[in-house]
Amino acid sequence: MAVIELRDVAFRQPNGVVALDGVSLDIDKGEVIAIVGGNGAGKTTLLKHLNGLLKPSSGTVRVFGKDTREQSVAELSRRVGLVFQNSDHQLFSETAEAEVLFGLRNFGFSEDEAAKRTDEVFRYFGLEHLRKRAPLTLSGGEKKRLCIAAVTAWNPDVLVLDEPTVGQDYPSKLRILETIRRLMEAEKTVIVVSHDLEFLWPLWARTVVMIAGKVVRDGDPEEVYSDSDLLESAGLRQPQLVTISKMLGRSPSFRNVSDAVHWLERREP
Amino acid sequence: MAHLLAEGLRFRHEDTPIHRLDPRVKLLISIALFSISLLTTDLYQLAIAFCAIAVPAALAKSLRRLGKVMSVSLTFAAFIFVINLVFSYGLYRSATLTLRFMAIVASTSLFFVTTSPDELEYVMRWFRLPRDFVFAFVTAVRFVPVLMLDLTQIIDAQKSRGLEMDKGGPAKRLRNLIPVLIPLIVNALVRSGELAEAMESRGYGAVKNPTSLYALHLKSRDYAALLVTVAVWAGVLLCFRVV
Repeated sequence: MAVIELRDVAFRQPNGVVALDGVSLDIDKGEVIAIVGGNGAGKTTLLKHLNGLLKPSSGTVRVFGKDTREQSVAELSRRVGLVFQNSDHQLFSETAEAEVLFGLRNFGFSEDEAAKRTDEVFRYFGLEHLRKRAPLTLSGGEKKRLCIAAVTAWNPDVLVLDEPTVGQDYPSKLRILETIRRLMEAEKTVIVVSHDLEFLWPLWARTVVMIAGKVVRDGDPEEVYSDSDLLESAGLRQPQLVTISKMLGRSPSFRNVSDAVHWLERREP
Repeated sequence: MAHLLAEGLRFRHEDTPIHRLDPRVKLLISIALFSISLLTTDLYQLAIAFCAIAVPAALAKSLRRLGKVMSVSLTFAAFIFVINLVFSYGLYRSATLTLRFMAIVASTSLFFVTTSPDELEYVMRWFRLPRDFVFAFVTAVRFVPVLMLDLTQIIDAQKSRGLEMDKGGPAKRLRNLIPVLIPLIVNALVRSGELAEAMESRGYGAVKNPTSLYALHLKSRDYAALLVTVAVWAGVLLCFRVV
């Protein structure tokens, strides 16, 4: 069953710019999907349609079968959790703990239940040592994980991450990747928006490519990432493992570095 | 509402005869229109004042934007109207005073709608205002759109976390502002710190009297505009019988 269903969605900004142009997309339960594209391709605009922050100028967005026009942002956010790119745009509490409690209280969880979920989420994300810290004093990576934790706390059915890797160092990226993997195992629907294909490659997720407000490709990662021309016109860089696989004439591409090493070792005379 | 005002007053580059004028001339036009608006006492004079404002606004293709600014001032205008009515100045007098307020708003907005932050800086420097003061003022003006963008993104982020801004009684609504205002202020502070560092690394304050790449020069069209402005201004004042 499609949890999210977009039909010919167009969105025109108040200044007349067409940010989305005939986007149709079905996202199934438990699916992990990457939305990629260069700056200004309409990725963030698309995300804002998923929890009703924006309503389409034409076409329909259905979340769990219901038109987003008929629901409030709060109702939709309960099921579709959005984590925005800039952590500093949402952290405001005195402690990390209060930051997590904020969403839980907004969605009407009882104090007992909220406390229980807060405990769980801090444990789950390995942030227990930061519970009493002021969010604004945390490092970039810690802030990002706290933001993801604060949304995951109310257990939305769909988690949407907007450019989670921007400004993150390599260890932080790995942690975010790990987080996404665990959500995948928990059969959550996860939507990741990014232009960092190197980060997305190991996820091996269905990939939607956007250029100028249009979906130009929707396919499996092997197909999308080996199309160099497509990536170039979308302003994206091919993951190195795919480039190397192509150079060596190997298909499908290496999933990770150890795959590549094994293959090369076996070829040695 | 604040959004509408910022949108209305925000400068947009446009190529019109008014936009091309020397900013000092634009300031003079605005002052002339302001003084005309200030001196109106009846509906007939107000009609003249509004026409005098509408002509340069139309030339600057800014009628709609002035309309936006004025629609924001409507709340305050309504307030003026009611207060005057309560203190029994009569319907006619109250209406005149209210319209006069609108004319004043329109005449002053015309300057800000047609003058870029850069030009504003040149004018203030021409008046020999202290450089630091000029810079601070112009930066504040320039940062309004940036802060508005921050604000919408923050509101989006908090709404996505279940914040319902216009729910609950007055006390609750006030509390609802905290998750929005704190990130806004923190971001503005961080940004101002970064700006200060960027300015210092580019040599701000290295010399006492820095030179300017662009100097204000009156061109023939500026003189022409000056002449027309003074003529219209004098004509209107004669018409108002204040001279």
